Amino acid sequence: MPEAQTSDNQPLLQVDDLKVHFPFSRGSFLNPERGFIRAVDGLSFDIAEGETLALVGESGCGKSTTARAIINLVKPTSGTVRLNGDDITGLDDKSMMQHRRVVQMVFQDPIASLNPRMTVGDIIGEPLKIHGLAKGKDRKLEVLRLMDLVGLNPRFLNRYPHEFSGGQRQRIGIARALAVNPKLILCDEPVSALDVSIQAQIVNLLRDLQQQLGLSYLFIAHDLSVVRQIANRVGVMYLGRLVELGDSESVYENPTHPYTEALLSAVPVPDPELAASRDRIRLRGEVPSPDKQYPGCSFADRCPLVEDQCRSERPEHKSIADEHTIACWVRQ
Amino acid sequence: MNNTPADRSSEPLLQVQDLQVTFKTDLADVRAVRGVSFDVYPGETVGIVGESGSGKSVTNLALMGLVPKPPGRIDGGQVWYDGQNLLELDDRSMQSIRGHKIAMIFQDPMTALNPLMTVGQQLTEMTRLHLGLSKSAANDQAADMLELVGISNAKKRLRDYPHQFSGGMRQRVMIAMALSCQPDLLIADEPTTALDVTIQAQILELLRELQEKRGTSIIMITHDLGVVAEICDRVLVMYAGQVVEKAEVKELFANPQHPYTKGLLRSLPRFDQVTDSLYAIPGQPPDLGNLPAGCAFRDRCDVSVEQCSQEAPELYSLHDGRLVSCFVAKEEASNA
Repeated sequence: MPEAQTSDNQPLLQVDDLKVHFPFSRGSFLNPERGFIRAVDGLSFDIAEGETLALVGESGCGKSTTARAIINLVKPTSGTVRLNGDDITGLDDKSMMQHRRVVQMVFQDPIASLNPRMTVGDIIGEPLKIHGLAKGKDRKLEVLRLMDLVGLNPRFLNRYPHEFSGGQRQRIGIARALAVNPKLILCDEPVSALDVSIQAQIVNLLRDLQQQLGLSYLFIAHDLSVVRQIANRVGVMYLGRLVELGDSESVYENPTHPYTEALLSAVPVPDPELAASRDRIRLRGEVPSPDKQYPGCSFADRCPLVEDQCRSERPEHKSIADEHTIACWVRQ
Repeated sequence: MNNTPADRSSEPLLQVQDLQVTFKTDLADVRAVRGVSFDVYPGETVGIVGESGSGKSVTNLALMGLVPKPPGRIDGGQVWYDGQNLLELDDRSMQSIRGHKIAMIFQDPMTALNPLMTVGQQLTEMTRLHLGLSKSAANDQAADMLELVGISNAKKRLRDYPHQFSGGMRQRVMIAMALSCQPDLLIADEPTTALDVTIQAQILELLRELQEKRGTSIIMITHDLGVVAEICDRVLVMYAGQVVEKAEVKELFANPQHPYTKGLLRSLPRFDQVTDSLYAIPGQPPDLGNLPAGCAFRDRCDVSVEQCSQEAPELYSLHDGRLVSCFVAKEEASNA
């Protein structure tokens, strides 16, 4: 795993108390029940240059919404997002343009995120066109260089997305993100739609590119085994909040929040002997809907260690080791 | 891991022999399943692993008589269950087996459940049809089934529609439905792939418990070797429409024989280990509509020899009763 470069100056990305609430109304027309889905509910973290931070958690915990809010694909309700020290929270498309050269995104589903009517050359060249970075022959040369960089055969320049396999399509998405020479790439479940043998190819590619280009990643995934291979730091999310954040090694070797413990113990291990012998923590029930507001800890209802205080007061993040914080009354 | 030892001294419950399925497309005949054979014994869990397009789902659709024809076509083989070849049964006789003796659960419970019928209607439809229960008896039985799979307040939940259940709960409903006629065999096609890990762990535990209680045999189709390690007794590894390796689960993980199985196991990331560079099997699976001569894995294999490009290996039996379809592995085993 590449070592993160620690620079003395400010982090590349700073997210402070980010909230994204979606209003809803349901029930009858005359007597509607109104409220908010608290998709992201007070999230703070930062990412240094050359570093990979992974956000993990189950469906609906708000990890994808976080990425979308960072680049203003959804408008944050409150909080701030700073990129290189500039406040980019809620900027409109026009003002966001210059920042999109610094931060790019790679999506989960390479079929849905590539225009089926454009050739690979046009897809990868489009950011160069939009940002006015290269024209004509230069653009073509740059596209060929990018294709080579991500391991696509430059002969395929004029082919269409449907002619590629899933792994190759994900390479096209990565090449497109790299076209503007960004510093930070938000990867939203980049390998979860791929078969295992192909998944390893893409994880290796992302790691190599990081080393070559000094990229930072916000890596969003639900697969904890993949995250272990790529992240310097890991944030565990539950119902729109971080419950544990720390150095990857520290979180995996010493998971401390009860939710992190349960999550790690639920991951199937490809080892029948170990699978039969290891201890597990089984969580009862499922993740509740994020429309409910919790005065205390949002995990309290499912937590095996719950105490009275957990239901009435919200736990703050406290340090439990170097570069490792949790939000839990019981374990702090 | 399964606690009830499967009884393999008795007759197999299901025998699949040399199954061949082809799909006709405009461009070519796609040979999705190319001569698959396996047995399922009472009370055991057989895993079928493979990547997308390896033929694992089509194999099971074929034995349930659910391959759409056209474009699909069964080109050969037999599926023996209870003294009859299922591939030769007419629709009517097949219907009395499907859902009754052999039941199936699918990956996506939202598309497999009818959104316009309550869960209760869907649960009782089967038992009234197959077991001839009266309406009230069927209702009672449906409520019992929901309780069995861990849905609380079962009587009331029977009146709910599928959208009123969460993903994990819907999968439980599917399992309840599949088990309501007490089938001998449950075919589970990626039953936990769409679920979160904590819910996946709950569902796998549920399947294990139900198997212990009722002795149902399970065919578990999955791409996830972690799930295989957790729940299966025996494993078939499929590649390009063929079984390339067959082994007891512990042996498969401890000592994989086929280069594809080895590659697959090496490419798995593990949450309890950091690997500097993940092994990746080079290249892509072959086009099933235009298969090269010889071994289908040859182009991606790092130990292939000349023979591999000339003839296709059969499924060879190695010394300890394991089966592998590879010239090199067979050679190594005979020298060992």
